[in-house]
Amino acid sequence: MYGSASTDHLPTNAPTGLENEDPILLAEFEARIARGEKIEPNDWMPALYRKQLIRMIEQHAHSEIIGSLPEGTWITRAPGFRRKMAQMAKVQDEVGHAQLLYSAAETLGKTREQMLSDLINGKSKYSNVFNYPAYTWADSNVISWLIDAGAIVNQMANAKGSYGPYCRALDRICAEEAFHLKYGHDAVVHLATGTPTQRRMIQEALNRWWAPIMTFFGPSDKMSVHTEILMRWKVKMASNDHCRQQFLDMYVPKIWEVGLTLPDPNLRKNEETGQWEFTEPDWEDFKRVINGDGPCNAERLAVRRAAEENGAWVRRALLSPKAQYVRPLA
Amino acid sequence: MNSLDPRITRLGLPDAPPPPPDKLALDQFETYEAFHQKKEGTAYAYVGPVHAPSADVAFLFAKEQYSRRFACTGMWVVPTTSVHLSPYADDNASVYDELPAAEQTGNASTAEQQEEALYTAGDEDYDIFHLKKRGKAHVHVGRVRATSPAAALQVAKAVFGDQRPVVNVWVVRSADVLRSDDEDRDIWLTTPEKKYRDAMAYRVQDKIERFKQEQKNAPQV
Repeated sequence: MYGSASTDHLPTNAPTGLENEDPILLAEFEARIARGEKIEPNDWMPALYRKQLIRMIEQHAHSEIIGSLPEGTWITRAPGFRRKMAQMAKVQDEVGHAQLLYSAAETLGKTREQMLSDLINGKSKYSNVFNYPAYTWADSNVISWLIDAGAIVNQMANAKGSYGPYCRALDRICAEEAFHLKYGHDAVVHLATGTPTQRRMIQEALNRWWAPIMTFFGPSDKMSVHTEILMRWKVKMASNDHCRQQFLDMYVPKIWEVGLTLPDPNLRKNEETGQWEFTEPDWEDFKRVINGDGPCNAERLAVRRAAEENGAWVRRALLSPKAQYVRPLA
Repeated sequence: MNSLDPRITRLGLPDAPPPPPDKLALDQFETYEAFHQKKEGTAYAYVGPVHAPSADVAFLFAKEQYSRRFACTGMWVVPTTSVHLSPYADDNASVYDELPAAEQTGNASTAEQQEEALYTAGDEDYDIFHLKKRGKAHVHVGRVRATSPAAALQVAKAVFGDQRPVVNVWVVRSADVLRSDDEDRDIWLTTPEKKYRDAMAYRVQDKIERFKQEQKNAPQV
């Protein structure tokens, strides 16, 4: 579950370093991508490509791990055995996705140990939406449906990117998430078409989540040299605005069709331009939360850290003295 | 630390803990590469890596990670350190064409005699995997007998070299592969009973239609 929002605080004016790369190798690398071929871990690649992909895949992995927390907290309180089983399966999928993504990032040269350390010590980011709490079962349903829907828009685009291991991981992730989307939609519709109390509950959850959802894809991209290069290298596959529009196009009608409303009086599709219009999200608040001052930032990291620390003795006991690290292959 | 989740509150986590130390090397163990058979009789294909302290645990993790959600009838795991890679070729090319020609063995003159000679010279089995297209997965093509991984790649060239395209070859000493046992095949049968993990299990459209019908039939106010 990942949006491009968390990568957007990148220094876009930092040097690209391209002048230091071997021009012949760089030309071959770009020609390969232009032909539609994937890059595999053993291929030559520019330092900027490697760095950006590590950052992106690592943040995606962290988002899966942290994203499983607000839903995980509802497993024990899910109404009924069947929902409990389904919620558990979904949370397990998300944690599994993190494993796949950590491995994909690892093929680029950053160890899993370093990535996990950087998550806990706050050096790496994750999707900002998970810094908000899931107050009720209905909040959990909104996450299951709409946050996953946003993530799928993003992941489907990234699955067409140029890095082989990331594509392989995303193909598997997208296949597994087909169930999440249907499960979430079904849960939301169940409440929306239920008793007045259930209806009020889901409407309130939707009202709480709409602002974070609108920031999920990040602010409009500043077109910089970096953006242009990363798009040419098929690292960044679609602009944040493009993803947001696609999401609104696909899901706002589905929200409205069951009689739910959205807390933005300006939200409408402009039939002339074909674009959705909406109140600009509060990006200052977004920055404040992403930089640590959100309702759940501290709790998310503390829970992750406790899990790492409480399991450390088991891992130490299992470690073979002959163990020898090499990067995963693909 | 107080949380909406009472279980988290009960953990008694500090509100402002000191910064955590960086993880030690190998805290997450070594990696293993996992291969799956999707259906009886089909070739094993690469699914991805797992981190694990031993091959047995790698097998359990790989089963959970890669066979939990979709059909699977068999699994192999190999320590990453045991996989030998050929160079990578362009899509539509064959990496075998780039390998230096094998030295002539004895007085073999035909290609078949050459293949025969290479085979009998070997003393260990090696599994051979081909990547047909970048971004896709390596697939098992067969087994050869050789004295070393480098020699096995040469034998593979003689035996499988006519297949195209071959972007990359993995060579694994067969003895290094932990394989699921045919006798244990019932371990793969757990998926069908968990229908709630399939998108198909959710008939949300029916609920929506029913709701719209009720709205239409409701008395106007």
